[in-house]
Amino acid sequence: MSREFILKTPLSVEDILALRIGDRVFLNGEIYVARDATHKKMLSEVAQGKELPFPVYGSVLYYAGPTPPPPYAPVGSIGPTTSRRMDSYLAFFLERGLRATIGKGEREEEVKKLLEKHKAVYFIACGGAGAYLATFVVSWEIIAYEDLGAQALFRLVVKDFPLLVAYDAFGGDLFEEGKIRYRKIFLYHWEASQKEG
Amino acid sequence: MKEIWVYDIVEKVTEALLEINIRSDDLLRQKMLDALVREESEAGKEMLTQILENYVVAEEQRLPLCQDTGMVTAEVRVGSEVCIRGGSLRKALDEGIRRAYREGYFRKSVISDPFFGKNTQDNTPGIYFFTLEEGDSLEIDLLVKGGGCDNITTLGMLEPGSTPDDVERFLLRELDKKASLACPPLIVGVGIGGNGAYALFLASKALSRPLGSVHPDPRYRELEKKWCEDINRLGIGPQGVGGRVTCLEVRIETYPCHIASFPVGIVCSCHVFRRKTLRW
Repeated sequence: MSREFILKTPLSVEDILALRIGDRVFLNGEIYVARDATHKKMLSEVAQGKELPFPVYGSVLYYAGPTPPPPYAPVGSIGPTTSRRMDSYLAFFLERGLRATIGKGEREEEVKKLLEKHKAVYFIACGGAGAYLATFVVSWEIIAYEDLGAQALFRLVVKDFPLLVAYDAFGGDLFEEGKIRYRKIFLYHWEASQKEG
Repeated sequence: MKEIWVYDIVEKVTEALLEINIRSDDLLRQKMLDALVREESEAGKEMLTQILENYVVAEEQRLPLCQDTGMVTAEVRVGSEVCIRGGSLRKALDEGIRRAYREGYFRKSVISDPFFGKNTQDNTPGIYFFTLEEGDSLEIDLLVKGGGCDNITTLGMLEPGSTPDDVERFLLRELDKKASLACPPLIVGVGIGGNGAYALFLASKALSRPLGSVHPDPRYRELEKKWCEDINRLGIGPQGVGGRVTCLEVRIETYPCHIASFPVGIVCSCHVFRRKTLRW
């Protein structure tokens, strides 16, 4: 059975070091939502000498771009987007004390080394379940770059937001593990046998 | 001559887009339930359970199933005996998208130019493939899919004379690298033949087929089944967390091709499979 953790942001190094791949985490507190254009904008502003619009130390970044909230619901759909597109920005935030990111899908190899070095983790949320995940969002507000629409920087308050640890701070990789465990076809053997046949 | 008024097209397109973005197909629900029964990995089961929960929440709260409500694609088959009255077909489709994405509070994800554009604020234009057919009917296959699964689109120019095994090897290798990024369990469209551009169109066309549909040719039906089973043996699992269910269906579309080439296009849809065919 996988282990379960209930965590509250800001996250501490101890929180992170307790986690291993496959653990289920229910996250509480404030998290920040940013995606492609948001990252680009934050970095360009820092390059111009401005301050980052959110406190990075101990925080959690959620890679997502929500739908506009309809008048009949408190929030719009808000599921994760593909994390790999944000890999090149990750080091910048980890150096400033970011403890976790939330997204979906495998990331570059480099990311695992960075997480190990900076004692941080990569969580995944269920992609394509944006309406379900919205039920764990208590409140939201835009804190910067409103002009970017869905790509603005949002602050969410979440309650028991369901996550899985995909990469831990020890080089563990849930995707690799999964393939090793459940693979029933071996591409290279299969290729060789097809050639012989 | 059959007359079709644009206001009717606008209305039906709007209605269809509002529906498919919010309510999942009954057969898709059934397939996801079957997948949950078949899945062995604990993390995989968790993901499938959340996907099933999502169907219920989205419908109850009238929220889009996925925050990425895509760029709308439509394959439009126009009979030569059809007369579109009251405006242009392209504009009618765009208007349908504009209304649905406003009324449904869907995300507007289209920028007017890849380099120099801004968000068009109404999710238009859509992507349209128009074909002229015989007869007096108009058919529109609407397909909505997000950017994540479109990013794993692949074109392979294989050796002429490639066998089904060669194509399968190419397919498995590509999906092994990329499937986790595209929100599996996937629906996989494979276009074989034509030229490079056409193979990708065929793959996209294959995705426009309704769920549960199979190829009319029994030889291809066999391949669709085998490739789907073999993708599921890769162990990638729901959302890539490891498991038995990576793919729900493989669809193949083919076309004659040049003696010197063997194009294979792969276009996938994430598990939030949103499509509908409109007919007049």
